[in-house]
Amino acid sequence: MKNLSLMRLSIWAYLAIFFAYLLGPLVIMSVTAFNSPEFPRATPWECLTFEWFSALFQDERILNGIKNSVMVGFGTVILSVAMGLAGALMLTQIWPKLRATYYTIIIAPILVPGVVIGISTLVFWDRINRMLGLGADSFLSNGLFLTVIGQSTFIASYCMLVLVARLQRYDAALTEAALDLGATHAQAFRKVLLPFMKPAIASAAVLAFLASFENYNTTTFTFGEYPTLTIELAQKVRYGITPAISALAFIIVLLTVFAALFNEANIRRKELVLEARKGATVEELSSGRLKLPGFLSSNWAAVALVIVACATVVVVGTATVYSPQQCIADVQEQKRLETEMRIQELQRQRELRREQQEAEQGSTAPAQSQPADNNSGFGGVFAPSTLSGEDESGTAEPAEEDSGFGGAFAPSTLSGDGD
Amino acid sequence: MPRFLKEFFDRNGLGIGSLMLGLVLFWTIGLIILPQLSMLDFSFRPNLPPPEIGGPKDVYTMENYKYLVFGPEGGSQDYNAVDLKVFYRTLIAAIFVTIFNLILCYPIAYYLAQTKGNHIRIFALMLIIPYWINEILRAFALRIIFGETGVLNNLLVAAGVFDTPFDFIRNDIALYAGLGYAYILLMIFPIYNVIESLDRNQIEAARDMGASWPMIHRRVVIPYAKPGISSGCTMVFMLSAGALAAPQILGGPSSLWFTQLIYQQFNDNSDWPQGAAYAVVLLVTCILLVLAVMRLFKVNMGDIGK
Repeated sequence: MKNLSLMRLSIWAYLAIFFAYLLGPLVIMSVTAFNSPEFPRATPWECLTFEWFSALFQDERILNGIKNSVMVGFGTVILSVAMGLAGALMLTQIWPKLRATYYTIIIAPILVPGVVIGISTLVFWDRINRMLGLGADSFLSNGLFLTVIGQSTFIASYCMLVLVARLQRYDAALTEAALDLGATHAQAFRKVLLPFMKPAIASAAVLAFLASFENYNTTTFTFGEYPTLTIELAQKVRYGITPAISALAFIIVLLTVFAALFNEANIRRKELVLEARKGATVEELSSGRLKLPGFLSSNWAAVALVIVACATVVVVGTATVYSPQQCIADVQEQKRLETEMRIQELQRQRELRREQQEAEQGSTAPAQSQPADNNSGFGGVFAPSTLSGEDESGTAEPAEEDSGFGGAFAPSTLSGDGD
Repeated sequence: MPRFLKEFFDRNGLGIGSLMLGLVLFWTIGLIILPQLSMLDFSFRPNLPPPEIGGPKDVYTMENYKYLVFGPEGGSQDYNAVDLKVFYRTLIAAIFVTIFNLILCYPIAYYLAQTKGNHIRIFALMLIIPYWINEILRAFALRIIFGETGVLNNLLVAAGVFDTPFDFIRNDIALYAGLGYAYILLMIFPIYNVIESLDRNQIEAARDMGASWPMIHRRVVIPYAKPGISSGCTMVFMLSAGALAAPQILGGPSSLWFTQLIYQQFNDNSDWPQGAAYAVVLLVTCILLVLAVMRLFKVNMGDIGK
């Protein structure tokens, strides 16, 4: 028994560590969106601010990237769902001897690195373009076209996998029955097969859009004049990062959580309704008097959804009236005071040391009288980075703390002096 | 018209049938096969300015592949040590990331597949949510954590583990953590799918016969889950060897990923054939490695992607 509880404990500990690794980065990134320093960081906490959100919404390149991403996303969804559906249908009908080869070909793009797909798309269409004798600004070398084509190459494989799973449960006799009853092939396809495939098509479309929206490896070779959001973000992140990116990430996280909870709440409600119906009699069902469970009853996802929605409304409400100016000014003032104090401390230390040296070996050292402005420059450079260490232990200027700090710095100042 | 084609159109009708056939042919030939062949062909050609392409100078050459092995002609070294080292390091690191992910994810996948209850759905949701968020943003989040003044360094310094901030980025720890992080779902999902279909009675039977937990996993669960494990490992290996975003954002200044070399050839040097040659080398090596490992563990190609 004891052994079992120990095992349960270790399982929970493992789960906790795992999910901390998985979700921790997102939480910390979201927190940095509300902190005031120019560089995104969660510690030390300075001021609650919403300015990074307004900075985000004023960023032309990000907004343009979102627009391009949405255009590429729609193109990719249409093309890859269509190809995925055709590919899945073909898989059920293809000549058995060809089946394995065919499956390998259409599954391969998932395993081929995105970089390779991007390059091959670029090279191939560039070649077609040249063979047709078109110029550099033709439709075939257009960034939107190339990106949609490149992304669809492998996203269609994902769609195919999703659609095949549903197609395996389709009874081909249904189509045959429709044909026997006089439907044309197109009608049988539209009125029998498509409605059956609809849920799978919807999830394939969502999957395709998300995969397209976040793709980087392929797009980075094909985007041309149309940088998508991911490309813009990558450029921003590589050449200097600001909390505005955290703000964007926070919005995406929030939207994702909303969508996931909404979906979950819907599924749960359907289950509950089904359960309630199971116990009902025929009269109850036909008269419509059956009491169906409410949206919120025993549905954790729905409750969570409402809570998140309320929290969002409250935060947005606060953001419109809240102004962090006072706090930011306070923090700057505090930083200035700390810097000044540190400079004074350094000067005092140096003074002390000089007196000691003078006492020990008379006044012979040449570099003792460093100019004061040099000192202050030194203190100013060090102030922001040392601040982090000090902030946690309270900044109420206890004397011991200061001297301890000065002590830590003494060796470096000493070496500067000795030269 | 051949018989199978006639049967195909009889079954699907002319309109739907030709639409289907057209889409499939466009996808398989126009998007998958021809571009790859075209890249292969391109990699054997010299780097020429556009007007000279197709001209007398446009002949097949091994120059681009020679460059990877021997470096620039008349160079000071016998071998292209820099690029080869990057290539070798990328493969080793990708294998390392794959093993790390397998060890990390196997228990989770097993737990999720073999436990029933409402909390499993919450876990599944928590597992999927990070993957709806942009790849770049995930790497960015890790950079905030691993940066020199990042959260982790502040914590460790405050806790007294280090005296000075530890440079996680320069030591590639951030990169490995980021690559591992990026592909967790791809490892968990296939393993989960397979283990879920494992009959619990088999495990109970093994336990009744007196097998210990490690024994049950070694003799019952892992052999059963082999297709899932191999397809997870294949995907994680291929994708981390071909990753570009994480190395660009989380990689140290002195350590390059092979895909970054490809990127440089394309975008900075505008030497497309050279980049294509590097891409071909990466692709072929990865495929051969995967096939060799699959042969070693006796797994079929058909199991991948299930």
